[in-house]
Amino acid sequence: MKLNLTIQPRFRLNFSPLVWVLLILMGIAFVTAMIRYIFGIGAISDLSYSYPWGFWISFDLFTGVVISSGGFLMAGSVYILGIKEFQPLLRPSVLTAFLGYIMVAIALLVDLGHPERIWYMMIHWNGTSVLLEIGICVMSYLTVLAIEFAPVAFEGFKLQKWAHLIHKYIMPFVILGVVLSTLHQSSLGSLLLIQPAKLHPLWWTPVLPIMFFTSAISVGLAMIILESSLSSRYFQRGLETHLLEKLAKAIPVVLAIYLVLKFGELAFAGDLHYLFTSGGFSILFWAEILIGAVAPIIWFSVRGNRKSANGLLAGAIILLLGMILNRFNVSWFAVRHPDPMFYMPAFMSNVHYMPTLPEISVSLGIFAAGILAFGLAAKYLPVFEEEHDPKAPSFGD
Amino acid sequence: MTEIKHHAYLFDATRCIDCRACMVACSVENNIEMDKTRIWVAGVGIKGEYPELQRGTMVYHCMHCDHPDCMSACPVGAYTKAEDGPVTYNPDLCIGCRYCMNACPFGVPHFDYDKGIIEGAFIDKCTFCPQRIYNGQEPACVQTCPTDALEYGDREELIARAHARIADHPGRYIDHVYGEKENGGTSYLIISHIPFGELGLPNLPATPVNEVSEKVMEITIPFALGWGAILTGVAAGVNLYNKKKEKTAVEEKAEKSK
Repeated sequence: MKLNLTIQPRFRLNFSPLVWVLLILMGIAFVTAMIRYIFGIGAISDLSYSYPWGFWISFDLFTGVVISSGGFLMAGSVYILGIKEFQPLLRPSVLTAFLGYIMVAIALLVDLGHPERIWYMMIHWNGTSVLLEIGICVMSYLTVLAIEFAPVAFEGFKLQKWAHLIHKYIMPFVILGVVLSTLHQSSLGSLLLIQPAKLHPLWWTPVLPIMFFTSAISVGLAMIILESSLSSRYFQRGLETHLLEKLAKAIPVVLAIYLVLKFGELAFAGDLHYLFTSGGFSILFWAEILIGAVAPIIWFSVRGNRKSANGLLAGAIILLLGMILNRFNVSWFAVRHPDPMFYMPAFMSNVHYMPTLPEISVSLGIFAAGILAFGLAAKYLPVFEEEHDPKAPSFGD
Repeated sequence: MTEIKHHAYLFDATRCIDCRACMVACSVENNIEMDKTRIWVAGVGIKGEYPELQRGTMVYHCMHCDHPDCMSACPVGAYTKAEDGPVTYNPDLCIGCRYCMNACPFGVPHFDYDKGIIEGAFIDKCTFCPQRIYNGQEPACVQTCPTDALEYGDREELIARAHARIADHPGRYIDHVYGEKENGGTSYLIISHIPFGELGLPNLPATPVNEVSEKVMEITIPFALGWGAILTGVAAGVNLYNKKKEKTAVEEKAEKSK
């Protein structure tokens, strides 16, 4: 017996393997998130009374926000400082920031105990709370990014009039966007100011917001390099090496300021003795400083590295790894919780935290969705085109 | 009972016999599951060598700080500090962000990790038994304590009582009332014969831990306005400069073509 299998399916999904992987990751994340909504956060994560925040906050919020800082850097450079030559980098960075912030918002909806009440932040204000500032900034900046990105979408849908209208009144939104970004990047540092008793003194300082803002600038520059390099490889388009070189030149300057601030503050606070005496904390500290700041300064000071596509990409990856380690350190690894006490009730004794696979899968799925959305936008919208250029070539495979 | 201006507890670690009746009383009074108690007893175990043995237990619940860090941290203002002491939590406002748990240096607020969004996952913590104290009764844990390790009264009075007891028994206590100054003052006062650090209490300065973050929040809005003004100025200046440059370029071109 033979089954008749000759009927042609009406739809045939012709996705590349990468797209399939991304879709599967998204599916897993969706199922995991549903389990979390039905059975509670404890059903999928290792979060506990001692560790109310874990991988989601370190990766989705802290890392997600800092890698989205390229958007305001480019918008500020092009519109406010009038450096028009950076125009080709503007749209991809705004898109990265827009998607990055959407990813942050979605991830926070999984992490929040009452995601359906997120809008309470708009009406119930507690002025002393840094988290309120962050919530307001995320919501407002998402709106601003949507407005900044709207011309691209309108052009993609052949609504030139609308695109032109928004473009005409873009200035106030750009300024608002830079102000919101400054507040938001730095307020993630302020978020930890309330933990002087919990965060290790190598990281806790009253100038945490300034440290966060400075490092966010370096990460934003590195992210623009990374995202231009990767999309030039994936979409087979030219790489603006001469522009990226200028960004790479600025990185050592920013990082030098960062290092001076960091060690200056430690010396000022009298915490220098912790540098070598805190065991694992010292190792984490030196790892983030050497990988995230010292190595990129040296790497980008070499002219050859700034001139070559591979050199730019490698330097950006080194910097990003180090700075992401910094965000993990400051929000998770260096946060000390009280030691478990002898016959502490069982529910209080969990002072160890190890993210579970489902927890990580949620973040991975959201990240996959972001990459897919970037790919779709790059393919169907004029992201990599000069503004108002009808003869621009179309990209894609 | 004398009039109470500022409700407070006093805990004497030398009197606690680790019977945990307070835990049962609290759960019964407030109708909460036993494994989600708002009060918990922890011990340091047996210390020293025979015959010089010592053991210590500590009863934890909300410290009801004078400058509560949970209240400072909560974005939606779900916490309130009453003039007369108690720090209370309002589940109707809570968005479940768990920032209060991060902020509290004592690790007091607890979260329902085992509840989904249909049941509703909330924070839970000691309420100071308002249904009892405002009707002239002691909180449930104090009422039930068989050895008077937990006492309840006016804060000033309890501080005086604690100091008097330390003075009356030289050598028995460490000469310090934990909570008198710590974290800007708390309404849960502790005296002990073993170091407070060993009881699991953090070593905190007299300034509340939320001090720096509240100061930063105060300057945020002026900073944002100032920064916005600077950026507007820069943008306008650059725009003007570019226009001027364009104009001169055009004029030069025109002159050249003459």
